[in-house]
Amino acid sequence: MSFTTKDVVLKEDRPKTLLLQKHSDYLASYGLNKDDYEYCMTEYLRMSGIYWSLTAMELMGQSSRMPKEDIIEFITQCQDSESGGISASIGHDPHILYTLSAVQVLAMYDRLDAVDIEGIVRYIVSLQQEDGSFYGDKWGEIDTRFSFCAVMCLSLLQRLDAIDINKTVEFVLSCMNFDGGFGSKPGSESHAGLIYCCVGTLSICKRMDALHADELAWWLCERQLPSGGLNGRPEKLPDLCYSWWVMSSLSMLNRIHWVDKKSLEEFILACQDNETGGFSDRPGDITDPFHTLFGLAGLSLLGNTSIKPVNPTYCMPQETIDRLKLKPQILQI
Amino acid sequence: MHGRVKVRTSEEEKARKEKERNEKLKIFKHAMQKIQIKRKECTLDKELLELTGNVLSSNPDIYTLWNIRRDILQLFKKSNDNIEEMSQVYNAELHLTEYCLKINPKSYCAWHQREWVLLTRDDPDWQKELELCNTYLKLDERNFHTWDYRRFVVSQCKPSLKDEFDYTTEKLMDNFSNYSAWHYRSKMLVELYPDRKGGRPIEDSHHKHELKMVQNAAFTDPDDTSAWFYQRWLLGAVKTTIDLVNYTVTPTKNTFAFSKHVDKNYVSAKTKLLINNCVVNGEWVSCTGNCYDVLWIFQHSTPITKKINIKVEYEIDNGQKQIIQGVECKEMFYIGKNQIKFERNYSEAVIEELKDQLESCRQLLNLEPDSKWTMLTTTIFLHCIDAKAYHTEAIQNLQKLKVIDKLRAGYYDDLIAKWCIEKQLCSDYENADLALKFSFPSPVSSLPYLQYYSYCDSVDLSNQQLTSNIFPSLIVLQHCKKLSLENNNLTTMKNFPDLDLVELNLLGNEKLDRNEIELFTKKYNFNIIY
Ligand SMILES: [Zn+2]
Repeated sequence: MSFTTKDVVLKEDRPKTLLLQKHSDYLASYGLNKDDYEYCMTEYLRMSGIYWSLTAMELMGQSSRMPKEDIIEFITQCQDSESGGISASIGHDPHILYTLSAVQVLAMYDRLDAVDIEGIVRYIVSLQQEDGSFYGDKWGEIDTRFSFCAVMCLSLLQRLDAIDINKTVEFVLSCMNFDGGFGSKPGSESHAGLIYCCVGTLSICKRMDALHADELAWWLCERQLPSGGLNGRPEKLPDLCYSWWVMSSLSMLNRIHWVDKKSLEEFILACQDNETGGFSDRPGDITDPFHTLFGLAGLSLLGNTSIKPVNPTYCMPQETIDRLKLKPQILQI
Repeated sequence: MHGRVKVRTSEEEKARKEKERNEKLKIFKHAMQKIQIKRKECTLDKELLELTGNVLSSNPDIYTLWNIRRDILQLFKKSNDNIEEMSQVYNAELHLTEYCLKINPKSYCAWHQREWVLLTRDDPDWQKELELCNTYLKLDERNFHTWDYRRFVVSQCKPSLKDEFDYTTEKLMDNFSNYSAWHYRSKMLVELYPDRKGGRPIEDSHHKHELKMVQNAAFTDPDDTSAWFYQRWLLGAVKTTIDLVNYTVTPTKNTFAFSKHVDKNYVSAKTKLLINNCVVNGEWVSCTGNCYDVLWIFQHSTPITKKINIKVEYEIDNGQKQIIQGVECKEMFYIGKNQIKFERNYSEAVIEELKDQLESCRQLLNLEPDSKWTMLTTTIFLHCIDAKAYHTEAIQNLQKLKVIDKLRAGYYDDLIAKWCIEKQLCSDYENADLALKFSFPSPVSSLPYLQYYSYCDSVDLSNQQLTSNIFPSLIVLQHCKKLSLENNNLTTMKNFPDLDLVELNLLGNEKLDRNEIELFTKKYNFNIIY
């Protein structure tokens, strides 16, 4: 059996400069047509969609192009008065994923007063289990993503004291693997996205010391492929969103210099669509707000100065994190 | 959002697609509306089950619809005692999830629904589920959802661990390039074959066996990375301990440095400072203010004078007590250094195996001198077998790797620094010098093990490639008076730690802003050279 590395080849005619204006136009018009097929079919994750678009706009200094008051009104309508949680959209059920997205959006707008904060705290507290893990909602799915949502959300609300932090950390550490990485639950294979969630949780809980930093960071830098792009697991194709999951983790580990920044930047720029605007997962694919945020945020981590600094733990503008006086931990080397 | 290629289509085609989508959208919206109405009316019936099922079969990620279905199924169960009928309802639900997983094998919702059904019904057929996993893993051996589901099923029906271990062997024999299988194997290996006697993670003969198997895999396809990660883990699977590496006692400050991060409970339970054979009581404070730290400050009111007897009693991992005698290196400046070593503790048998494999690696490297993984493995073997004896060769290899594997040059740089510092530490811990100076063939950009040098009063970090990023780490230099950062890549003085310095040398950092340094100078009363 002969082995070939899974990767892509960047074409000569790819975008090589950052098309900021196009991206801002793309996001500003996204969802203007409420009957757009794509838009309607993604209603079940609308709240996260708003977070992706707004954060991307904030990083470009263009957030005034988003309908602020409508968004805040929408969020208040999505809060469930009984559980306190927030849903993806009106008519959908509350879930920790969308509760976090809503809190992130309100934090950026400095309008956390618009929702019932005690309700959100109550909701998140209700989802923590005896072993420190978190349910995503009352139906009992467990995932380290939800642990991250919980601590990120509560820290943005200055209420991290409401849950058992030691147990939260203990559960996340029980998901550590032979390669120093993390999966979605104990026993699950390492995956760059879940590594970001687990490292982020430890960063907020100030327990970065518990990581096997050298092993983990080596595994992360081995995600870089000859094209410059990063994959999320060994022997997988590169994908733009992994430039965020991997690079933010490496930033928290203070080892961002373990990847080649120049070729990664070229890969990210190649994922832009110079006709429609926006970024896609790989060069030549259809763009979406999710990859547009992670493309911009990745470039920001790489030091691109036409984008505002992004905080690697929260994936929000550093200025918001500073305003809230949050100090997520970065590992010292 | 993933893997959708943008295709150019004719106007005609576009219009046709648009029309098709509009039709679909109409049906979708109508169904969603109907679902919402029925839910509001609390009409949790078969029709609603059908409606949600229809939408989910092409959109399995609409989580709220699964929630509705669970509500309905729970209601059915409450009002129906006919086990057979309920069994059919649950079977249909499993069927739906299977249908959805065919469309999207990575649908979190569909997988979770399947788990929920099996945990809710009274007659789960776990064997059947295990077979489903086998089938799915044949179709995609890397789908982590399927592997997770398999672990869930295994946790319920509890086949023997050995069976699952053998399953990974089988999968790997099919294709060594299966990281998921290596991962699963690592979990079971330490459970099945721990080294109970020696306290190592893996029992000797199995450690050897795995090393052989992984070498076989790696040599089959040196460019496939899966096996190499497993191998690297096997090489690191040794017993590790937490050590007290040094302590420094002066009239103003007492510090204790550990090889790993430890918390206050650990430090206060394991460490006793004795002055003239009397235990000193006091308070432990971490150097950075974090709960876990590598350097702890001990605050007490016992006076430290000349020519006193200072020693520390430290309880090591196996419960034994270690006495570390302090030496008065200069007047009223007592240092206790422990024996340090960085070698890994392999058994004789494993060392023999490593030596064998090193030979094969070297032969392979002769044939393909530019093979990254062969070069890296050779280098790791050299370091594991005898870091001191092979130091020069290992460092030379890492230098070559910087060229062969350019993307990760930064990683190799830091590994070179780490190994060089390990080597220097071993000799620095054998002399009584209070000064630190690095003079390696290549400059360092990171400072691992810096707490091992916390006793130094003079620290020369000049002519390295340090950036301002390292400032927070300098906090462990609690006894440093003279610090040189001359000729580095500092860019800002932000985050410079609070140290009791007498002199700080910042010369030759071209990117440092003079105004910023002047402001910095006003804040501190030590001599700043710039
Ligand atoms: Zn992606």
